[in-house]
Amino acid sequence: MALLRASGEHSGEDVDLNAINGALDQASGIAHDTILIDFAEAFALSDQARLAAARQTLQETLGPAALADAAGVVAVFDAVVKIADATGIPLEDAKAAATDDVRGDLGIDAFRDHAAD
Amino acid sequence: MMIPESLAYAAGPAGMRDDLIGAHQRAWQRLARTGTWWRGEERLAIAAEVRNAPACPLCAERKVALSPNMVQGSHASVAALPAPAIEAIHRIVTDAPRLTERWYQGLLENGLSDGQYVELIAVLATTITIDSFTDALGLARHDLPEAEAGAPAGKRPAGAKGGLAWVPTVAPEDVTEAEAGLYDGLAGVNIHRALSLVPDEVKGFFDLDSVHYLPDAKLRDFGAGLRAIDNAQIELLAARVSAINQCVY
Repeated sequence: MALLRASGEHSGEDVDLNAINGALDQASGIAHDTILIDFAEAFALSDQARLAAARQTLQETLGPAALADAAGVVAVFDAVVKIADATGIPLEDAKAAATDDVRGDLGIDAFRDHAAD
Repeated sequence: MMIPESLAYAAGPAGMRDDLIGAHQRAWQRLARTGTWWRGEERLAIAAEVRNAPACPLCAERKVALSPNMVQGSHASVAALPAPAIEAIHRIVTDAPRLTERWYQGLLENGLSDGQYVELIAVLATTITIDSFTDALGLARHDLPEAEAGAPAGKRPAGAKGGLAWVPTVAPEDVTEAEAGLYDGLAGVNIHRALSLVPDEVKGFFDLDSVHYLPDAKLRDFGAGLRAIDNAQIELLAARVSAINQCVY
């Protein structure tokens, strides 16, 4: 999240972080955001019909190399989140502080509340 | 070792990077090798169980329960692995956001060692990364390789300590000669430390991660242009997948 914000600042884009939690109702400020979000969501939700369509749109719009790179990102983050969850590794204090202003608004801090024992 | 022909990605999208293909081939070979705590045959059994877990009826029932502990039963498994390893694989694959330290301690009480658990996570993460890549592209998954023979050394880093995570980890300042190079090319932040109880798995997984995502040294090099999508687009994809997975990290 901090890197998303920082990369937007670098390019002069005013990034709307609501894109992260699916609450985006306007342009995020990132090029081709809706195409990328559709691809990420279809993949993460295992919606095969939606994924096939999103894949085709992404390839036609951004090109085959971009499709491969986008697939690489969603694939490895599908695994990284499991490493984090399964080891109980905490978010660094500095990273939490850097995104503290938006974590609550986006509902991200509530995710751990789902844990049951 | 024979690598499945599909790992050349002749059926993949045009312009696939050679470094991505090379990393997949290395990762697939690693899966079959003797690990630190598991034999090659057992590592491939873990990979097979990772593929099987989403079809487990018990996991499906637990997933929709208010608490996974409310639903008792046996996992539908395909691999000859100890019961706590099967439980670990199924829960991490199907319900990771609701894992707890108490659940992890239960695995240890039932005979799984912390080293076995960490290596299991690394094998699981490697399998998921490559399977998810082919799934995202609409390609067939690769056949698992043939196991290599050998006995695990069971070697534990001298500098591993508890306190940061559920599992013991090695801080950058506690790396000894025995695991030299553990954090080469990495900042040694918490996510890099997560698998450090099994140093070879840190090197292996982040060899894969650096070509899927970005090399650690380039994370804030916003003009590097290493990928066909820019950094903001990469971070958007990463953040959206992490949010759907309810990951707080």
